[in-house]
Amino acid sequence: MNELKGGIIPSKTGIRETIIDLIEKSVDKGIFDAVIIPMKVPSGDSFVYVLVKDKKLLKDGFPLAPTMLVQGAKAVSSVTRLGKGNMKIAAIIRPCEARATVELAKLGQADLDNVTIISIDCPGVLPTSDFLEDPDKYLKKFDDAYKNWDDKIMRPVCQICDKSSMVTGDLHIGTLGAKKDTCFIISNSEKGDSVAEKLDINLNQNLDSWNSKVKAISEEKKKKRIKAHKELKSTVSGLDNLVETFSQCINCHNCMRVCPVCICRLCYFDSDKVKHTAEDYLTRAESKGSMRFLPDTTLFQMGRMMHMSISCVSCGNCEDACSMDIPVGQIFSMIADETQALFDYVSGRSLDEPIPLVAYKKEELHQMEDAND
Amino acid sequence: MTKALKLNKSAEEGILEFLKYLLESGKVKGVFTLKRISKNSAIAYSLITNPDELKDAVPFYPLMPVNAGKLMSRFTLKEGAKKPVAAILKPCELRGFIELIKREQGTLDNLYIISSICGGVFPSRTEVDRSAEKKLPKYWESVKKGEISPDLRSVCKACEEFIPYTADITFDLLGNNDIDKHSIFYLNTKKGEDLAKDMKGDFSEKEFDRKKLEKINEKRQAEKKKLYDEIGKKMNGIDGLVEIFGRCIGCHGCSKVCPICYCKLCEFESPDSEYSPSNYETELRKRGGIKVPPGTIYFHLGRLTHIGISCVACGQCNDVCPVDIPVADIFKKVGESIQKMFDYVPGKDVEEEIPLVSFKQEEFAEIEE
Repeated sequence: MNELKGGIIPSKTGIRETIIDLIEKSVDKGIFDAVIIPMKVPSGDSFVYVLVKDKKLLKDGFPLAPTMLVQGAKAVSSVTRLGKGNMKIAAIIRPCEARATVELAKLGQADLDNVTIISIDCPGVLPTSDFLEDPDKYLKKFDDAYKNWDDKIMRPVCQICDKSSMVTGDLHIGTLGAKKDTCFIISNSEKGDSVAEKLDINLNQNLDSWNSKVKAISEEKKKKRIKAHKELKSTVSGLDNLVETFSQCINCHNCMRVCPVCICRLCYFDSDKVKHTAEDYLTRAESKGSMRFLPDTTLFQMGRMMHMSISCVSCGNCEDACSMDIPVGQIFSMIADETQALFDYVSGRSLDEPIPLVAYKKEELHQMEDAND
Repeated sequence: MTKALKLNKSAEEGILEFLKYLLESGKVKGVFTLKRISKNSAIAYSLITNPDELKDAVPFYPLMPVNAGKLMSRFTLKEGAKKPVAAILKPCELRGFIELIKREQGTLDNLYIISSICGGVFPSRTEVDRSAEKKLPKYWESVKKGEISPDLRSVCKACEEFIPYTADITFDLLGNNDIDKHSIFYLNTKKGEDLAKDMKGDFSEKEFDRKKLEKINEKRQAEKKKLYDEIGKKMNGIDGLVEIFGRCIGCHGCSKVCPICYCKLCEFESPDSEYSPSNYETELRKRGGIKVPPGTIYFHLGRLTHIGISCVACGQCNDVCPVDIPVADIFKKVGESIQKMFDYVPGKDVEEEIPLVSFKQEEFAEIEE
């Protein structure tokens, strides 16, 4: 991977204000026409993504919201799925949202030509249910945890995220390793370079302290991740354990609906293919004496794993949306790591890397032959 | 007067004995009911064909993991049952199923419906935090006394439709102080009578204790008033709607679990609901900022319009909402007001047409006025 270029900018009032400031300047200079940014809802008990054009509204932008209710990639896709349009848009999202956005672009679900993705060093997000319990209290807790980079109150998948500073978009705001009252701004593309240039930011400054801090955190998290996945594996692997794990699933498919990379308009598991006659159901029940109805709950989960784990970014939205508290995000993050390692692929790492299941390589045919020997 | 069968067994044992008899005698080939399905005792609807499997069945467990009306629709959607199957449904599940049948999403062919005078169910959360088991003794106490268990779903506490309308057999539960001693099956239809005919037990002519049930209804009405007052205050105008639905994450879980929402592709997930870049540009000129993905409140209002007439207020949507929006409370209140307008009780009678489908000439005049 190429060495990242970046600069240092002042950040006196806090990272949220710094980002808003930067965006305002960019809008003033005509670099962006609109911004996708998290914002507090009127009742104050949630954060949503808003596409903002009005500068006055921009002041209410809330980057690094304490929760992730809608995955940012879904917001970007919603705005650009049907075309890039005429507006130049900045999307202020987290690294896993940026990665999912890249996956969606590869899947033809987002057009990033006019989008500048700006990501931020991410401390994780709070589980939705915790946050909703007391939004004000938890916002404060989040901000305190952010200061100390303490992940104990974050989503389980955030606690084991080793890609929380992964730069995959155009620009990245780095706070790790930054000197007091400053932060890093890192460019990852020509688009990013050009924004920096227009804002008079020198991108040839020393990023060593950010790099080393990010490396240390990511290595530590990687260790935690491997350990957590190993523990999880012992409780969920094998068909019996899987069936047990998903026994409480009520087939609401919330996990799939909130997943940023589950893009099918009509899921196979909601289609006519899985609907059978009463006689068929009865015959199946007779073979076992009793059959859960609806059947195929575990099959849905496994099917979804096969369909999207190559692109899973471990954001944990599925787990938060599960009404039965099944650790579906942790399970998917474990499977995703293995699926992606198989193809030496990291979801959302680069726009230029084709999705392995879409790309065809001749030698893979031999691998199949070998496997059958 | 209705024919009734009495077994000198507790409700729990009585219903299982009855189901066992049905399977063993071959009167039905399958029984559809709640069952413990795993080591961690998760409870799910199951189709049971082997009588031995009934040992794990818990027909009247106060949980509704899925609205079984939806499941019966799935069971009979492609083709009605060819062999007899008994299904144990709660009254609102049965009503949901009837509404789906009216929408050609299922049939009653060869189905024997057993329902109960229902004490309500716990929110699904209680299964997640494993507190359901602990709450059971208290639940059954309040069922016996005909009281409202404090652990019920909000819409169950406020439910006046706890007596099933179209069941072949109604099991006497709520307000029956003797459920530890006897099981009483009301045989409402010829089909119901045929099922029970050769069962060993006391047959008699019996009547529901209407007075007792009316008293229970009064308590439920008081709860309903409280619920409606509360939600009515919150739902005040478009600002109120923004407050309530503002945190909706657009997962559409509410529609997915709704027994009435049966569209394969929801309007709000279709291309018609997607914004093109120029739509966004136009909107932004008008209002400076727009939530993305857009259309949150529109979705809920749209769903209200589509299914309000048939909403059976089962509460599944409340349970499944990841951000705790009181969807069911709203749908119950609004649904009821729509239903009253047409003097319609969803799921009451399979022959009664859905008002929005049927056309009456005088309705024209009403609109003109």
